[in-house]
Amino acid sequence: MPNKAMPNLHPVAPAAPVAPATAPRPVALELRDLTTVFPGDDGPVTVIDGVSLAVRAGGTLAVVGESGSGKSMTFLSALGLVAAPGRVRRGEVRIDGADILHQPPERLRRLRGAVISMIFQDPLTALNPVFTIGEQIVEVLRAHQRIGRAAARARAIELLARVQIPDPARRVDDYPHQLSGGQRQRVLIAMAIALSPKILIADEPTTALDVTVQAQILDLLADLQAETGMALVLITHDLGLVARYADDVAVMYAGRLVETGSMEEVFTKPRHPYTRALFRSIPRLDGPVDEELPAIEGQPPNVARLPPGCAFEPRCTVGRGRADCCTRRPLPLAGDRSGHRSACFHEDLPDRKEAIR
Amino acid sequence: MDRLLRQLSQLAITVFGIVTVTFFLVRMIPGDPAQYMLGDYATEEALATLRAQLGLDQPVYVQYGLYVLRAVTGDFGSSVVTGRPALEEILFSLPDSAILAFAGLAVAVAIGIPLGILTAERQGSWSDMLIMIVALFGISFPVFWLGLASVLLFSQELKWFPALGASSGGGFLTHLHHLVLPAGVLGISVAAYITRLTRSAMLEVLGQDCIRVARAMGVPERRVVWRLALKNALVPILAIVGVTFAWSLGSAILIEVVFSRPGIGSMILKAVSARDYQLVQAGVLVLAVAVVLVNSLLDLAYGLVDPRLSTR
Repeated sequence: MPNKAMPNLHPVAPAAPVAPATAPRPVALELRDLTTVFPGDDGPVTVIDGVSLAVRAGGTLAVVGESGSGKSMTFLSALGLVAAPGRVRRGEVRIDGADILHQPPERLRRLRGAVISMIFQDPLTALNPVFTIGEQIVEVLRAHQRIGRAAARARAIELLARVQIPDPARRVDDYPHQLSGGQRQRVLIAMAIALSPKILIADEPTTALDVTVQAQILDLLADLQAETGMALVLITHDLGLVARYADDVAVMYAGRLVETGSMEEVFTKPRHPYTRALFRSIPRLDGPVDEELPAIEGQPPNVARLPPGCAFEPRCTVGRGRADCCTRRPLPLAGDRSGHRSACFHEDLPDRKEAIR
Repeated sequence: MDRLLRQLSQLAITVFGIVTVTFFLVRMIPGDPAQYMLGDYATEEALATLRAQLGLDQPVYVQYGLYVLRAVTGDFGSSVVTGRPALEEILFSLPDSAILAFAGLAVAVAIGIPLGILTAERQGSWSDMLIMIVALFGISFPVFWLGLASVLLFSQELKWFPALGASSGGGFLTHLHHLVLPAGVLGISVAAYITRLTRSAMLEVLGQDCIRVARAMGVPERRVVWRLALKNALVPILAIVGVTFAWSLGSAILIEVVFSRPGIGSMILKAVSARDYQLVQAGVLVLAVAVVLVNSLLDLAYGLVDPRLSTR
């Protein structure tokens, strides 16, 4: 069975480390112990389990993991957008140090789009088909500002120009179906940055687009980030994009974080067996043409029936059947001073090194 | 323009189909009209003469051919009871029925669409469940039962509204006074249907990606539901209104009987019992064409609502 978790890596070498900033930039968004549950047949199912993460202003955090690992759900939870009957059971979402989750819906509504914004995977369905793109941008502006129709329209044209839509004064009256996929994602980005948010969450923004357009969209995001200093969360399963754009990486499996750290640390010294398995399944340019890629054995887990211990244990080549510590309870993230942390008992096992190759 | 032409040719084909179907349907009503008109003691010769006069002695395909040829020129024959042209009779009573059907539909739309949106917004809440249960009752109770019950309550007991007639003599207000009860009954029974279908159309739209995006951008929930989602749901809602128009015309016929109002309904009912073929044919045809026309207009309106439909 083809494994959906298999990352689609273009062979991109990790970029040179970004020059260390003189002073650490402030944390723009911090999740603490975020836990989201949905009602299930046998009691609540924990789909997000105690996720703690931070993104610094101007920094890019990549969140990777296979489909269903809870990457998108984590940030929908952070925005208070979990669809009923799901709910956030526990945890905090801090922006500039203040928790935003436990406050009236109207306050949270005002933050969404203005301070923290999100763009989604499929630009073909993310725009409303019966309104012009101008109307949709104006709708976002007027949701947050007292601004007249004419001024809002002028601002919408400016925003379209800023995301490099050609001839914006004319395209502003187009309907979504008159635009290409890449242009639609640009329009969504225009909506998302309309109020200069501090944090932009991009949920697989290029998955539905072809490869050349992918690069254009991500470069646009990187440019906007450089201009505005916003924090970017890039949800993806494309490790090539992670290597190219991310400062930090968080790896999720079955609704839990299994490894976090700086991009160089995680790429050069992956610790968790799941992360290592992900990297092994990447094709290499210098490998044989007919090389068969190792897929991760077994099935992605069903979050409704997780084992009591490590969720990856049933598929793990390192820990499976080796130690009952893997099956007793999940391990919290632990790590060293570099900030590279992982949730595995077997980091010191000798075969860890051979697993890396 | 292309679209309009296509619409018109579709309309022509549909009307031809209706003409054919009504012709054969009417021929399926049991009983011999000549016998019916002349009574049980008529002589064989008298019956034969009348059948010849009505063209009933011809083979059915000849009758059909003549009927279609005349229909093209707008001639649907004369009522055997009154002797006046059938189409004229029907068109004369059309306004009464049209007023009732449109008033009922207006009530239904005014109640059903907002309730459908509200219940979709509050899906699963107690108010949603309560309204859905009431709507289920509204669909389940036959319209003539609702009519009789409302006559008992509002005319007999409370004496708020007149029970019968359409006040042919009085002014506008008297007309309105006579219209409230029948239109209200018709509207409420159709509203139940519109509510349920609007709710499901809205629920489908509210689950779409573009709505989640609007929420993620902080658009207030009221705007999300009543503007962004509603316009998306408008095409299915318009389709529902088109379907219910046919239904409310059909119900209007029953209501006319319950409230003894003049109109096509009462006329067709009388014509059927009198085996007045010409009148029944013309009546059914006019009702069917009205339904088709309204639906064609709504088809054109889709293009105004959904730009993807107008550019194609």
